Amino acid sequence: MRKTSLDTLPAEGGLGDEPLLAVDNLHVEFATRAGVVRAVNGVSYSLRPGETLAVLGESGSGKSVTAQAIMGILDVPPARIPKGEIRFRGTDLLKLSDEARTQVRGQRIAMIFQDALSALNPVFTVGWQISEMFRIHRGMSRRDATAKAVELMDRVRIPAAKQRVNDYPHQFSGGMRQRIMIAMSIALDPEVLIADEPTTALDVTVQAQIMELLAELQRESNMGMILITHDLGVVADVADKISVMYGGRIVENAPVHDIYQSPAHPYTKGLLESIPRVDLKGQDLYAIKGLPPNLLDMPTGCAFHPRCPYRQDNCVTDSPPLYEINARRGSACHYWREVLDGDQG
Amino acid sequence: MGRYIIRRLIQAGPVLLGATFFIFATVFALPGDPVAALAGDKRQDPNIVAIIREQYHLDDPLLVQYWYYISGIVFHGDFGKTFAGVPVTQLLAGKLQVTLNLALVALTMEAIIGVLLGLWAALRRGRATDTAILASTLLLISIPTLVSGFVLQLWLGVWLKRVTGTEFFPISGATQGLKSYLLPGFVLAGVSIAYLTRLTRTSLVETLRSDYIRTATAKGLSRRRVIGRHGLRNALIPMVTYLGADLGSLMGGAVITETIFNLPGIGFQLYTGVYLREQPVVVGIVTILVLVYIVANLVVDLMYAVLDPRIRYE
Repeated sequence: MRKTSLDTLPAEGGLGDEPLLAVDNLHVEFATRAGVVRAVNGVSYSLRPGETLAVLGESGSGKSVTAQAIMGILDVPPARIPKGEIRFRGTDLLKLSDEARTQVRGQRIAMIFQDALSALNPVFTVGWQISEMFRIHRGMSRRDATAKAVELMDRVRIPAAKQRVNDYPHQFSGGMRQRIMIAMSIALDPEVLIADEPTTALDVTVQAQIMELLAELQRESNMGMILITHDLGVVADVADKISVMYGGRIVENAPVHDIYQSPAHPYTKGLLESIPRVDLKGQDLYAIKGLPPNLLDMPTGCAFHPRCPYRQDNCVTDSPPLYEINARRGSACHYWREVLDGDQG
Repeated sequence: MGRYIIRRLIQAGPVLLGATFFIFATVFALPGDPVAALAGDKRQDPNIVAIIREQYHLDDPLLVQYWYYISGIVFHGDFGKTFAGVPVTQLLAGKLQVTLNLALVALTMEAIIGVLLGLWAALRRGRATDTAILASTLLLISIPTLVSGFVLQLWLGVWLKRVTGTEFFPISGATQGLKSYLLPGFVLAGVSIAYLTRLTRTSLVETLRSDYIRTATAKGLSRRRVIGRHGLRNALIPMVTYLGADLGSLMGGAVITETIFNLPGIGFQLYTGVYLREQPVVVGIVTILVLVYIVANLVVDLMYAVLDPRIRYE
């Protein structure tokens, strides 16, 4: 019998040794007028249930593009995925039919976006937008779906959820809007939640509340979470491990404590040193010199070499592989030993 | 909301007064003698001429004439008479219906064809279909009604009838119900169809780039639902504005179309009125058109509040 496309959907249940989600040697490029932009160049990372992976990097490092590739929401064209696999429970999502992919999207892998004001539809009530998940994917009646929406709004702690279910996004504060976004994304109990800079647009006090809420929801449901951010401060409390991205590649992989204690890549080290610290009050804040790489015209060898204090001659010519430091750590720097020792060039 | 509507209607008063005076003065300034024109080439009895001039206050200054006209409307509900003695209200009653039918047929065609073409172009953005649609709208915009009217009359009215033996599109008069309005309706709608197509395309392309469309896709919704429900609903706002405002333009633009297709509407009457210098007729018709504009704009503004919850009127 011929298999329908839906049969190839990954099954739920025990995973054995297989990670929940594995990105393997992913490449993403964009065709633009100015030429081909290689936004992601061989990114690999993996995620287990209940685990939080923080993907760190500045704008243009490819962290969001990788996430959009996982979700399957890249505009193709201009985007193209020439190489790589995204395995969800062992099934390569990139090989699924559009229809099967749609079944995964939103239901099993969900995503939270940065700016909830623009990410929520301005002309529909928040209740309508949350309950749409139940109406479309679960075939619930309008009334039942709305009841579920109120339940979810309660769960993400929106005060007076029942009264506010028929309000529009613009009638909420920034933090409350992000809670609505979260409620919508966890509606169908996804196994993977991707949060793309979920707190960037919010006040610092609200940021902490949102991160706390995400951590709590994750504990309750044991979902895997990918937290994309450029803010090292956000990461420390919630992440289990960190992947640092630069110029479309992962430059360092490590458990969260190791990386704070002793970074193994000059870029990570620069990022950590540029966090303001109370004990260094009054001194100039450290900044990584130079600018992020131009994706249209990447530096030869190691993409970080023009800005790197550890640079040697071979950095300009040889692109470093991801050297294995130990079973759980890797660094894409020829001189990671020197960086680890803190011995500057 | 109620107070807003009342305020808008009160604002309409001065607009109407200004518009009527402007038109009245314009007709007043036209060269030629309307009474002399009544009899054509025949010689007129000076006594009768004097009586007509007296009856229609033709020898009074502009402001006095205007006062007679406006006070007649305000105090007696009298919109004036034609030189043949027919009350303007009676003259326009049936004709308004013809023009309204024509404008509504045109508006319906515009809405359906314009939105569908725009949608099609937006979904095929940058490809051959898109380019073809954009090019044909440009062509449509460039052809004046005067040309398209006669050409379509010849092709679809005369030649098609000759070839098939059946009359699909009557070319003259309004005696065959909806059928009479199809061809003139399309001719009248032509340019508007082109504009609405372009507006729909731009608006939808813009909307489909929004973050909330990406969210809708990430929710696992089908493409049809993402575009049809989340996209179109937002793209609708500028489209409705254009359609509403266009009802007035269509009724005003009916002058040429009604003349070409010999439809007894107010456009045709307006043409005759200007020709005969019948102030009450011209001013009456223009006032109706101004009213249509004002009401259509009010309805559009109220529709905004329905379509976009972020807008509230106080």
